[in-house]
Amino acid sequence: MSTQHCFRTSGLSGERITMKISQGIAVVLALLVAAPAVWAAEAAKEVVCFESREGGASDVLQREIAPGLLNVRCSPTTGGVLWWGDPYDGTVPMGEMPIEADYSHAEAVVKPRSAKLTLLPICGVACHNGTYPPPPKNKDPRKLTMHMDLVPDSMNLQHGRGAIWCLDCHSAKTRNKFIGHNNELYDFDQPQKLCGKCHGQIYRDWREGIHGKRIGEWATTGKKRWFVCTECHNPHDIQQGKRNSGFVQLKPEPAPRLPKGVYNADHERHHLQKGAAHGEAKPASGGH
Amino acid sequence: MKKISKFTVDYLGYVVKGSPKFYGWVAFLSMFILVWVYGNYMQLTEGMIITGLTDQVSWGIYLANFVFLVGVAAGAVTVVFPAYVYKHKAMHEVTVLGEMLAIAAVVMCLLFVIMHMGRPDRLWHILPVIGIFNWPHAILTWDVLVLNGYLVLNLIGGFYYLYKKYCHEELNKKFYLPVIYIAIVWALSIHTVTAFLLNTMPARPMWHTGMMPIRFITTAFAAGPSLIIIVFLIVRNNTRMMIKDEAINLLSQIVVWCLGIALFLTLSEVVTELYHPTEHSMGLQYLMFGYHGLNNLVPWFWGSLVAMVSGFILLLIPSIRKNYKLLPWICAMIFLGIWVEKGMGLLIPGSIPTPIGEITQYSPTFLEIANSLGNWAIGFLVLTILLKGAIGILLGDISYAKTEGGK
Amino acid sequence: MTNKKIPVTQPADQSSCSCSDAQANPACEMPDDNVSESRRGFMKDVGGLSVASLMGTAALLTNSDEAQANTEWAEWFQGNYRLMTDEEKARAVARLERRYSSEYGKKVTVDTTPAQDGVLFGYALNIQKCIGCRRCVKACVQENNQSRGEREIEWIRVLKMEKGDFSVGKMKDGYPGDFGIQVGGNAYSASGVVLEGEHYYEPEKVPDADAFYMPIACMQCEKPPCVKVCPVRTTYREPDGPVVVDYNWCIGCRMCIGACPYWARRFNWGKPNLPKEEMNPNTHYLGNRPRMKGVVEKCTFCIQRTRKGRYPACVEVCPVGARKFGNLLDPNSEVRQILAKKRVFRLKAEMNTYPKFFYFID
Repeated sequence: MSTQHCFRTSGLSGERITMKISQGIAVVLALLVAAPAVWAAEAAKEVVCFESREGGASDVLQREIAPGLLNVRCSPTTGGVLWWGDPYDGTVPMGEMPIEADYSHAEAVVKPRSAKLTLLPICGVACHNGTYPPPPKNKDPRKLTMHMDLVPDSMNLQHGRGAIWCLDCHSAKTRNKFIGHNNELYDFDQPQKLCGKCHGQIYRDWREGIHGKRIGEWATTGKKRWFVCTECHNPHDIQQGKRNSGFVQLKPEPAPRLPKGVYNADHERHHLQKGAAHGEAKPASGGH
Repeated sequence: MKKISKFTVDYLGYVVKGSPKFYGWVAFLSMFILVWVYGNYMQLTEGMIITGLTDQVSWGIYLANFVFLVGVAAGAVTVVFPAYVYKHKAMHEVTVLGEMLAIAAVVMCLLFVIMHMGRPDRLWHILPVIGIFNWPHAILTWDVLVLNGYLVLNLIGGFYYLYKKYCHEELNKKFYLPVIYIAIVWALSIHTVTAFLLNTMPARPMWHTGMMPIRFITTAFAAGPSLIIIVFLIVRNNTRMMIKDEAINLLSQIVVWCLGIALFLTLSEVVTELYHPTEHSMGLQYLMFGYHGLNNLVPWFWGSLVAMVSGFILLLIPSIRKNYKLLPWICAMIFLGIWVEKGMGLLIPGSIPTPIGEITQYSPTFLEIANSLGNWAIGFLVLTILLKGAIGILLGDISYAKTEGGK
Repeated sequence: MTNKKIPVTQPADQSSCSCSDAQANPACEMPDDNVSESRRGFMKDVGGLSVASLMGTAALLTNSDEAQANTEWAEWFQGNYRLMTDEEKARAVARLERRYSSEYGKKVTVDTTPAQDGVLFGYALNIQKCIGCRRCVKACVQENNQSRGEREIEWIRVLKMEKGDFSVGKMKDGYPGDFGIQVGGNAYSASGVVLEGEHYYEPEKVPDADAFYMPIACMQCEKPPCVKVCPVRTTYREPDGPVVVDYNWCIGCRMCIGACPYWARRFNWGKPNLPKEEMNPNTHYLGNRPRMKGVVEKCTFCIQRTRKGRYPACVEVCPVGARKFGNLLDPNSEVRQILAKKRVFRLKAEMNTYPKFFYFID
């Protein structure tokens, strides 16, 4: 049951045409064709930058939204978004929040993800001969045959430290919705409603603008694009990165230029050599 | 009025004439000034990027020289003070030479401080009335006031005296003495305010100490008279002007005691900072020992310390102090030692590390050094001209009576 | 598109000849644009030389570069921004817009929006979240028209703070006197100074497992030492908080750089290098308008954006949402929520500068 897989097999031939038909779908394709290198070869002109998760939920396709005005400007070295031409580009109203927060509903927008999921039926057509395989009987962990890139070890899912599994959040029947413990369904555009069920403290902080990210207008009543949980965090692989912070490691932007009179930054890095041989501080050759 | 124009003409006429030695000296200075012209053209067109300065170390040798020369200017008071307060006879005869030195030093200060500015074309912004003069808040405005005031006081004091001498007239003591006494106090103020310029910045812990003004004044009263001794001995050997031994002896005593106090203050500071070094003593540590291979300043610090300590010990010995063959060399050593102490030893490590802990190096560029040397050359040229005219008048080579009589 | 009002980044007013597409439409070029480069370079040099050569400039005014020279001539006589009447401001802005537009080949606007009543800008940074990716640094450069390349100026500096190491093996090492926070050692080994922060870190990926990160920029102090020491009052605190510089009034004495405890000020050592195509044409007089050589610049909380309601550029690009910005006078603002609910500290609080930039942890 892999949307991604479907497009690998079925999408390639029609990819170029699809793109021209609808840029919105092109974005989705960009996201779903996992290997960016392949993508770059397919369409050299397109620039895809990313917000928080490279190759993930926060990729942005660079385009002109007005003459001379790009929707985003990106870092030439890392591909990270460096500037928002229009913070609300491609957003929809966030909709109601379950608990009242001091914000303006009308002015809160999110970048929809559910749009991408409308392609789900194609999977059935293209990969499964018009029929979906039957839904799993229970929520017990089992070895996945798809989504291996997303979930490296499905028998040992670290999210929840083994207490929860895929189908605790993903609806087994309604594949384009999340599911709560009372079998209530949640939209993919509002993962916070589901995530907040466990991560209450962080949810409250997020609602008040302390946790997470918003772009747009700073005023409390101003229009803001709210970034939802999954735009920054990958719930399938929360252990990613050495830091175990729930946030993926990124390539940093280049260091500042060394000032005149200083030719390397070795003096900053002496401590790195000190651990092994005490006092024998040899100049480091470059970075780490 | 006629007298004043005659004075000007005679004075200028006298100072441009001289021996081959004099012309040689002027030509020597002019070489530096030629390079200075080029260096300034480059700095004015390209900006301060031609210097070795960075955002990390944004105050360099221009300001270091400025700070040092304020001290030299203030040091002139070591001539004026004994002459007028202690009625020191020998000193009284040469007071005006001290004032001439002060004028030359302040001129250099102004050159250095303007050269330090990124936008010298906007100098008018600081002028009261047409610009904005942020007084009393900005210490720099105090410095502008005291330096220019000191320049004016010395110009008035010095040239009034010379003019009266030229005319063979009695000094109007009711006018002259207040100028002198104000100038004496004012001399202390210029170096005090310059110390305040640096030490009122908590952002720079190395400077942020109440010891700065007194350290500045003691080093100034060692460096200033050192230069004056050298000048006096040169004058004595090259002109008919007889500067009495007592004057030089008093000056060398002032040098040795002020230098002693300065060294004591340095010692106090080093012990205070290094017994239990905090982050705030990082600048001093960087200066004395360097930091992981960044040690540009280390030889300067120890060199300066050796110069100052050995100068102090040598001058403690009366026979050496009175050996006028040796004395100018020791004075030159002390002068250079203090110059290094103010510049490489105080101003630059004040910026290293930066307030957020970045250790950097600063090395002045060729043009920066050339511009600094040019400023010194201009200063020495001004000093030479001022001294030559003053000596001419003191010796009676030019006087109103003479030109009138000659006609 | 759902954008209702995004004043800051909308393309500049297109009513007059739009020059954002000057290359495509040659008729769109600004009138002065046909001036040869050498002539213009020369005129700029003259501008720098000023007093001595103003006479020379006057003589050259009749030549082809009249508009440019007139502008620089007039700019030289321009008063301090705060003392200008509205008319003078309008004239100064028109002059600058003309010059910038011709210099950068696109329609450049210079905004003068004043502070709003009831607004005091505050900033909060979650030091626990920051991953040290330096995206804020580069975003700031793009937004605020800082100099690039060899003459690079960056207003934000991110420090990497090593967590250091306590371990049995290091018991005899003494204090390393380095950049670590936690160090081993014993009471009598020479206690070197512990300097915190690595400025030029360049790992493959951030965050490093053994580090946290500390971005530093202007703290927009309530009692800014830099303002006090400015001899010509060219730098001052705006009513809504940011400490700004009137670049046309700055004499370049760099007293403010010496006085700033946060190393937040930068100097244009030479003519800034700002490529035409990268130039952000939406500028504010006190903010990101292109600077000239020999003047000081600094973070203004993106005054050109925040005065028009937008978040600062660094806030919008932080991939982990560590940067928060808002009105300190609004009890519901994000910043006030943080002040009320989180553990907050200010950098170098002992300096009594009262920063409006707060660091916090969850």
